[in-house]
Amino acid sequence: MDIKAYIESGVIESYVLGLASPDEVSELEALSIQHGEVRAAIDAFAESIQRQAMGANIAPPPEIKQQLMERLAGDFKDTAAAAVAPPKLSALPGGTANGKVVRMVSFKLWRNVAAAAVILLVVSAALNVYYYKNYAQTTSKYQALLAERNTLQAANDNYHQTLNIIHDSVMQIVRMPGVPGKQNNMATVYWDTKTRDVYVYANNLQQAPAGKQYQLWALVDGKPVDAGVISDCKGICKMKNIGRAQAFAITLENEGGSPSPTLTAMYVLGKV
Amino acid sequence: MPENAVKYTEAELVAFLKQRQQSAFGYLYDNYSSSLYSVILSIIADRELANDVLQEVFVKIWRQIETYDASKGRLFTWMMNITRNASIETLRSKGYQNSQQNRELTDTVYESVGSVSTNTDNIGLKKLVYTLKPDYKVLVELAYFQGYTQDEISKLLDIPLGTVKTRLRAALIQLREIVKP
Repeated sequence: MDIKAYIESGVIESYVLGLASPDEVSELEALSIQHGEVRAAIDAFAESIQRQAMGANIAPPPEIKQQLMERLAGDFKDTAAAAVAPPKLSALPGGTANGKVVRMVSFKLWRNVAAAAVILLVVSAALNVYYYKNYAQTTSKYQALLAERNTLQAANDNYHQTLNIIHDSVMQIVRMPGVPGKQNNMATVYWDTKTRDVYVYANNLQQAPAGKQYQLWALVDGKPVDAGVISDCKGICKMKNIGRAQAFAITLENEGGSPSPTLTAMYVLGKV
Repeated sequence: MPENAVKYTEAELVAFLKQRQQSAFGYLYDNYSSSLYSVILSIIADRELANDVLQEVFVKIWRQIETYDASKGRLFTWMMNITRNASIETLRSKGYQNSQQNRELTDTVYESVGSVSTNTDNIGLKKLVYTLKPDYKVLVELAYFQGYTQDEISKLLDIPLGTVKTRLRAALIQLREIVKP
């Protein structure tokens, strides 16, 4: 083989630039071992190309190096300490590896920043759990308060209504004190002189026993007229409409009320 | 980038890289990133994409350093070929083709707006290739910077494969004369 012609064929350049076919590559690699001048031609062209490429200096953005260092951080075998004492070199020109130390320091800094970030993340996660628990507790307390408030509001509305009825100027008030033997009982009838509606308020009536209910009676010309049973309304209870009456009384009757009063179970009585 | 006081020979650098030394990798990056970046930019004009490719190239070099065989050529030649292959791979990828199509549309609309792409014709080897005579220039452009096979070029330019081969070889010889010190 004419080595000189081979070298001049352009195959060397194809090889260096990565344009040679696999066959050309294996042939050339074999020849470069046998012939020093083939190897020398490869090196010469490669050097020229390298010089050309090195001359074209377009600096990549600095963050790429940082990203690479972070990405490969797990691969590196030398620690920061090893880098401070750089690997022993056959020919170390004067001066220290300042650039490298600076870079290692900045790497350490980033590592510390990363560690701090992890710690902050953990703390933040713990706080999340803590605050979530607090939030859940507060929510259930709030719900309980809301329910309580609604109950109170309803009671309050009831009292307002009661007050309105009591203070209505057309309202005739009939006090019903306890009858002898039941003196500690007390109830009041509010009688609308226009509509003749009757309301009753139990100022002091003991809780009706199970199966029993208080019943209001209007005494009209000596005869008792049913004015309705007192259900467990809060505050003031609206009773039946009574056209006229001389007195009102309350007796304790079986649940649902009786057609006629049980006079032995009379609690309060008041004259109009 | 601070100048490194430490200077490695190529053999030392390769040895330290094979030992997985971070300092050696830093040295490699500091000394070769600009020229490899130029190689990428001569193939891929889009800066952002070129940045991604550069990162991939250095990861490849780092991961494949074991396969580097100094008896077959210089470290830089090896790295340059990895760089060119990665760039062409990206150039040929579907994602890149799509992005180019989109860009062509927007570029025609906003031509006056500063583009992130680089005029690659003035970079390193490409600048020299562009001084070759037109017949040669188109072949090197297609083969080296766009990664077409000689077979593909033969079909693309409607030239016999044999002619593509001889002309490309002649172009490279001329290139060698241009890059000679």
